[in-house]
Amino acid sequence: MFSFFARNVLQKLLTLFFISIISFLIIHLAPGKPSQIDPLNPKFTPEVMKRFQKQFHLDKPLSLQYYLFYKELLGGKTVSWKDNQPVLQKIWDRFKNSVPLFLLGTILTWTIAFPVGISAAVRRGTWYDRVSTFVAYLLISIPGFFFAYVLIILVVNQLHVPVIGMETFGLRSSSLLTWGMDHLWHLVLPSILGATGGVAVLSRYVRNQMLEVEGQDYIRTARAKGVSEDEVHYKHALRNALLPFITMFGLVLPGLIGGSVIIESIFSWPGIGRLAYQAILARDYPVILTLNMISAVLVLMGTFVSDLLYVLADPRIRL
Amino acid sequence: MRTKRLLLLIPCVVIAFLIQSYFWVPTYEEQTRGNPERLKEFITASLGDASILNPVLSADSASSRIEDQIFEGLLDRDEDLKLRGRVAKSWEIFEEVYFWVNPRYGSGQAICERLKRAKGLVWQYGPQVQTFLKSIKHIALQGPGQRVVKDSVSGKEVALRLDVPQRVKLTLNKIDPDLKKHLQVLLGVDYFRDLTPLSRISPSFPLPGGLPLAKAMALLPVVEHNPVIIFHLRSGVVFHDQHPVTAADVKFTFQAIMDPRNLSPRMADFEPVKAVEVIDPLTVRVVYKRLYSPALATWSIGLLPAHLLNKRALSREAMAQGRDPDKFTLRDSSFNTHPIGCGPFSFKEWKSDQYIVLTRNENYFAGPPNYQRYVMRVIPDLLTQEMEFYSGTLDTYTLQPHQVVRLQHDPRFQSFSGTSYGYTYIGYNMRRKPFNDVRVRRALSMAVDVDKIIKYVLYGQGERITGPFVKQTDYYDQGIAPVPYDPQRALALLKEAGWVRNKDGWLVKDGQRLQFTLLTNNGNAIRKAILAIVQNQWRRIGVDVKTDTLEWSVFIQERINKLDFDAVILGWVMGIEPDLFQIWHSSQTDPYELNFCGFKNKKADQLIIRIRQEYDHRKQVELCHRLHRIIAQEQPYTFLYVSKWTAVLDKRIVIKEQGPGGEPRFRRIRPTRTGNFYFDFNKWIKLSRLPQLSPGD
Repeated sequence: MFSFFARNVLQKLLTLFFISIISFLIIHLAPGKPSQIDPLNPKFTPEVMKRFQKQFHLDKPLSLQYYLFYKELLGGKTVSWKDNQPVLQKIWDRFKNSVPLFLLGTILTWTIAFPVGISAAVRRGTWYDRVSTFVAYLLISIPGFFFAYVLIILVVNQLHVPVIGMETFGLRSSSLLTWGMDHLWHLVLPSILGATGGVAVLSRYVRNQMLEVEGQDYIRTARAKGVSEDEVHYKHALRNALLPFITMFGLVLPGLIGGSVIIESIFSWPGIGRLAYQAILARDYPVILTLNMISAVLVLMGTFVSDLLYVLADPRIRL
Repeated sequence: MRTKRLLLLIPCVVIAFLIQSYFWVPTYEEQTRGNPERLKEFITASLGDASILNPVLSADSASSRIEDQIFEGLLDRDEDLKLRGRVAKSWEIFEEVYFWVNPRYGSGQAICERLKRAKGLVWQYGPQVQTFLKSIKHIALQGPGQRVVKDSVSGKEVALRLDVPQRVKLTLNKIDPDLKKHLQVLLGVDYFRDLTPLSRISPSFPLPGGLPLAKAMALLPVVEHNPVIIFHLRSGVVFHDQHPVTAADVKFTFQAIMDPRNLSPRMADFEPVKAVEVIDPLTVRVVYKRLYSPALATWSIGLLPAHLLNKRALSREAMAQGRDPDKFTLRDSSFNTHPIGCGPFSFKEWKSDQYIVLTRNENYFAGPPNYQRYVMRVIPDLLTQEMEFYSGTLDTYTLQPHQVVRLQHDPRFQSFSGTSYGYTYIGYNMRRKPFNDVRVRRALSMAVDVDKIIKYVLYGQGERITGPFVKQTDYYDQGIAPVPYDPQRALALLKEAGWVRNKDGWLVKDGQRLQFTLLTNNGNAIRKAILAIVQNQWRRIGVDVKTDTLEWSVFIQERINKLDFDAVILGWVMGIEPDLFQIWHSSQTDPYELNFCGFKNKKADQLIIRIRQEYDHRKQVELCHRLHRIIAQEQPYTFLYVSKWTAVLDKRIVIKEQGPGGEPRFRRIRPTRTGNFYFDFNKWIKLSRLPQLSPGD
């Protein structure tokens, strides 16, 4: 058990090291300079530009830049080039905004996808199955931004309530309950949008997984024993069909830092996706690389967690 | 079966819980109409968030919109774009001039005497020299002396010892760019001829190729103009923390810009300043190194409070945060997220990527604004901005070109439009054939139907432009007609230049086709459309044009900066000041410089320099018109258009003023000549219903 941990952690640290090198190189290979260094602004004389480059260590060799950058990052001292604010603080603030969106989106995805997928599998070939397949493909193919606009225009024009931002702008109510419900309402549309794709894909997975399990011998045995139909589906089949999803749950973790640029932009949601997007546009290397590093860590942690979950869930696997 | 029921129950509960939240949310009706507080605030939107709320450090438009409300400069521009005093009550401009004593014309004493005598015999001279003599307030002798300066010559740092000769110092009561000519009349035509700074400058080590003459002239000019501006500050102006605004704050703001550690993007504006001196708490004296007329307008920069940002204050802040005080600069200060100025609104709250709230400054020197609060919401999507505007949670919305016709005359809104300060052009690389021939450039301009581009690409939201000045200013010569669309004359011109159509229809000269590539940047739909239209129109007269679009940074770094292009579609955003040096002067044509088209014209060079040196508005306008004409004739660019903007505003927003008896009077908002409808913003207020406007409106 212990050797498994040690080996795993060591492997992941090594991977992380390579990720750090590659992402650093890619970002420096990409054309463009930080936006403060604007060569087409008559106000920027060459001396000023040189000074900026020196300040950001851009005049040093890449290897040294790499060293300086990660030294600062690990020390937690990196500041954004855009406004000199500490990067970790900026990311943390945005992270707090993105988490509710992510959580609600995930809850919606998983709670809706399972019943839909299972019932489609149970009633395979029926009208219900075909309609749910059709709707799933529809949801997968509809562009998110378009769906978002349709929803916003519908809700704003028909219900006359605000949907933009994290809360009703200028809300002056002091009651905690109103405040909470207002926040919840503003979560509804973006998280529905965030969940649509997930529901569509995941419900297909669930359906296929269920169908596969239902074809197994032990299901036939259960039926032959005279177990009721519901019990066959929900006890014998479902439990075995769930196994692969446990691994998927670990892989959801990186989504925490991902955010969605499109949904966050349309809904003016001050989330992490927008932070990353703006940082990329402004070539704000510290923010981009720090986010990149955090998501790499989360991915690696995610795989680790799913390994562990699998061990816990499936008694056939031993370390 | 429990699992089955749970699987159905959980999603139903979650969805029901989400949907019920709808009933707690106030509708737009409740927010806007039933809410008296809403009338006291102005809400505007921005696509991007501000980055750093410090006028000395920021370079983005969202930040400067907020800074305009929080900070106040010494001066700003009035309705007619003339400078008017803000924190400065008034100012005087004059100059101090130093010129070398030429020993061949007598001793320094003798030259001073001659000038003094001439001053007594003014009537002997022509009118121009007369005014010059009358403007002399004081004559004195100075030097000789020695000075060591550090400078970089062809990329190398070098210490230079300057052997400054004895000089005559004249104090004038105005600025006279023609002073050298007048002195020649008084002292002799050849007085300045054999005076050269080269022999008086000794570098610390021998320079290969010697010191360039232009550099030497800049370091040790024979005639040195030192324009002086004295600002008289208004008394009783206070920062939002009640600390009075004094001359020390002006000096501090200047120092903050020039401090290399602050990396201020405004540095180039203030580089010509020699010294800023505090004379008394309400008087500050600015001395310049040379004639540079755009300098005055740069003092519209917002003043920083010295007492919060000086060395002591910054060290204290660094200590409190546990950081090294030596490495802690203005850029690191929390001031940039909680700014304090002396403008009409004071800072209240900034939620990153959500909104910035300002409240009115009751002590604003020109009287507090009518609005209680100023709010800028960050809404990065135009459609959402539009929806919020219709719902009444935004007070203004800037229309996209295709919406203008539909919404401009909507009875619910008042609309304003104007032309922007930037223009779009096709630039030719004049170092390359055939663009070195003005006839070819003119012909190419003639073959482009700009009016159609404006009509179809911009939905009519643009105007033609003929030269490099801002179209609403006096500097722009409205009398210059745009190049007409005339493919036949274009062909005739090309024929004159030796280009004839062959039997396939291509233009050919010496067996070579007229062939080149037109470039622009990716991601700008309008430029891409123009690219296709221009290609098509040029092909019709037989020009073999290829087109390409490149990612912005590649485009700039690999093509523009390295001068590797034939023709490009690009745009410039201009300032009001008519200083064209960086974009049009022949000294700025090297790689990485902004005259990338390689426009070189002796007359234009002289005019550009002269415009920078001229402090008299009327004369400056005249010079600009001459320059405009030269550029329009030379056609280094095909000037395409300036785009028009249209903004809509809630109709219930009006100007509220005090009538003679103290009763409120309402007036409609009127834009200034430049189209700026925010000019009277501090008098705006929103009413609950359409008001009775004062007579005549």
